[in-house]
Amino acid sequence: MDNGATMHLAVSLFAGTADPSPELEFSHLAGLVQKAEAAGLDMVLLADSAPAAGGDTPNQQMPFEATTLLAALATVTSKIGLVAAASTIAHQPYNLARRFASLDIISHGRAGWSATMAQSPREAANFSRPEGFSDADFRRRTEEYIGIVRGLWQGWDADALLFDKSGGRFHNPEKMHTLDHKGEFFSVRGPLNVARSPQDTPVLVLSGLSVSDLDIAVRTADVILLDDEPNEGAKASYDDLKRRILACGREPDAVKVLTNIAPGTAGKLAAFADGLAEKFQSESCDGFNVQLPTQRSALDAFADLVVPELRRLGLFRENYRGTTLRSHLGPAGGGEQ
Amino acid sequence: MTAQMKLGAFLWATGHHIAAWRHPKAHVTAGIDIDHYIQLARTAEAAKFDMIFCEDAAGLREANVEIASQTSRSIGFEPISLLSALAAQTSRIGLVSTASTSYNEPYGLARTFLSLDHLSGGRAGWNLVTSASPIEAANFGATGLKPHADRYERAREFAEVVTGLWRGKASGHDGQSFSVRDPLDLPRSPQGAPVMVQAGASDVGRNLAARTADVVFTAAQTFEEAKAFYDDLKGRMAAYGREPDDIKIMPGVSPVVAETEAEAREKHEELQALIPDDVGVALLSSYLSISDLGRYPIDGPLPELPESEGMKSRQALVVEQSRRDGLSIRQLARHFAGARGHWRIVGTAAQVADELQARFEGGAADGFNVMPAYFPGELDAFATLVVPELQRRGLFRRDYEGRTLRDHLGLKRPA
Repeated sequence: MDNGATMHLAVSLFAGTADPSPELEFSHLAGLVQKAEAAGLDMVLLADSAPAAGGDTPNQQMPFEATTLLAALATVTSKIGLVAAASTIAHQPYNLARRFASLDIISHGRAGWSATMAQSPREAANFSRPEGFSDADFRRRTEEYIGIVRGLWQGWDADALLFDKSGGRFHNPEKMHTLDHKGEFFSVRGPLNVARSPQDTPVLVLSGLSVSDLDIAVRTADVILLDDEPNEGAKASYDDLKRRILACGREPDAVKVLTNIAPGTAGKLAAFADGLAEKFQSESCDGFNVQLPTQRSALDAFADLVVPELRRLGLFRENYRGTTLRSHLGPAGGGEQ
Repeated sequence: MTAQMKLGAFLWATGHHIAAWRHPKAHVTAGIDIDHYIQLARTAEAAKFDMIFCEDAAGLREANVEIASQTSRSIGFEPISLLSALAAQTSRIGLVSTASTSYNEPYGLARTFLSLDHLSGGRAGWNLVTSASPIEAANFGATGLKPHADRYERAREFAEVVTGLWRGKASGHDGQSFSVRDPLDLPRSPQGAPVMVQAGASDVGRNLAARTADVVFTAAQTFEEAKAFYDDLKGRMAAYGREPDDIKIMPGVSPVVAETEAEAREKHEELQALIPDDVGVALLSSYLSISDLGRYPIDGPLPELPESEGMKSRQALVVEQSRRDGLSIRQLARHFAGARGHWRIVGTAAQVADELQARFEGGAADGFNVMPAYFPGELDAFATLVVPELQRRGLFRRDYEGRTLRDHLGLKRPA
């Protein structure tokens, strides 16, 4: 639990929405994220669509890929965290680490990478791997991949850049570190050619966890997303995760466990706020990832009706505590060093 | 031959001069300052440039950490995220990023650039390169440099898959290097497809460009070189069923411009004096793809070189120049460090405009990729001094013709 026992709130845009949205211009999405920022939410999660199951008809819900969208949104917001989904199949680890390191500088320390531990069965076939990976291979590969990305994010010390014009020294070469990773699936020398993040490293959000993924998640993640389940189960899952976090030498608070939840219709929003309050107070999560369709009305209802109610109950902070995503999430996580 | 030249603003780190970052007026924190880039993009857009262009390398540019730490090029923004940010902060200017076929997959790259194209309302372009740097290779588990021909065969197939996906090709691809099952899950580009740019100047590179490119960037020091390249490339296009005008050839140019010629020369000398010898020689070595140039007397001539698997065309350019002008290693290093083997003009707006006009009207260029020596000063100088001079002569637009990058370049919308 957080100091002051306030929840963390994220909204996921376009997560599995089946409603064809009338307007998915960038300006519309910018308006949504600005509204979420005005409501003081910790972060927005940008899903990345994949070809719809069945594959014959392209899923044209979203004309944007999440990391490029994040970069554009970063320039029209100033406080809210921006987390993009990006797949470990679609990107080489060096390229992905570099993209997010750059996004973190563009956003002044508000970027996060949302990685899933679940393999999308169709995806590998578009990346010259028609056979995909076995579950065991995919898990080992993902674990190695996450380790590489986190390592690359720490390749430059925060004080490496000198900018010394007269002395002719742009950076201190001793504060730049190669990774020299050689593993089962990847070999990566490093370092990145992007400077250290203003928030130390981009925030790592993990989802799609099976039981065998929990150990890597508690070692590396800053945020873990869990699907909603009935109270008893949710509480047990949460307690188990916090125990594991402690067991691997991290503060239980260093990892925020958020429950994925989708509100019903706008008419039920008052009840929805009560439901969130009840789950949070039963200590079965550190907050919520609210999955909304892209209609403006859905976000407006949540921001204008649910969030104020949670504040009235003393369960959500009034203002942002700082300007980086890590500052919203509270005690710095950072995972194992 | 079109009536007006095309102009690209090539943004790179603190500037294209190797010592740019040390210049008193250079913005030294460029590589971590997004607002600086937004300002540059708006300057270029206000001057009606066709496009902004970003280079790319998936790794450090210099293996020697001591040398690297004396330049500003070891850190910077990753270009696709940078241009996506700039897309939201500009409305007309084209946004072109380099990306390598060596360490990407076509489906992911096609999707990312199409997303940039949607974010910008049809202003995106992809500069296709193949990677020759062992430093990059080490970040992707590669065990040594692939031969030139292999890299280009992979690039050819890569380009074929990407352009197919952009045109809405629905059936899968199963080839030598890549297999792709699905069409892209994004709607068609607002400009039909992102613009394809290439820079390879070798024979196999020219054929790939003649087949697939909309724009070609090139390095040419002299008018004759530029003209020979121009005629050669345009001459190859008929074989692929294309019109000469379907490609815009835009050589790089690194102008140093001021109100008077004396001021411009002074500015150039000031920059040259900031280059440390070891940095200049290291840079020259990397262009020549040899590692031990430091062994030779710095005031002596360039030694005989073995042919390398690296950048063949650029190597030939350097060797030819050194023999032609009888330059020592030090002189050559300073010369190349300054403009990286591209064409340099030092002078007034009228002198710069004269030179550009001569190449443009002489059929050696359709436009130019402008490589300011340092930022923001030399981009500002080009925008406020040279652009108005070109406009007065009717050689450059006073306003954008349309909204998309293809509109600016006068390119056909792909079927």
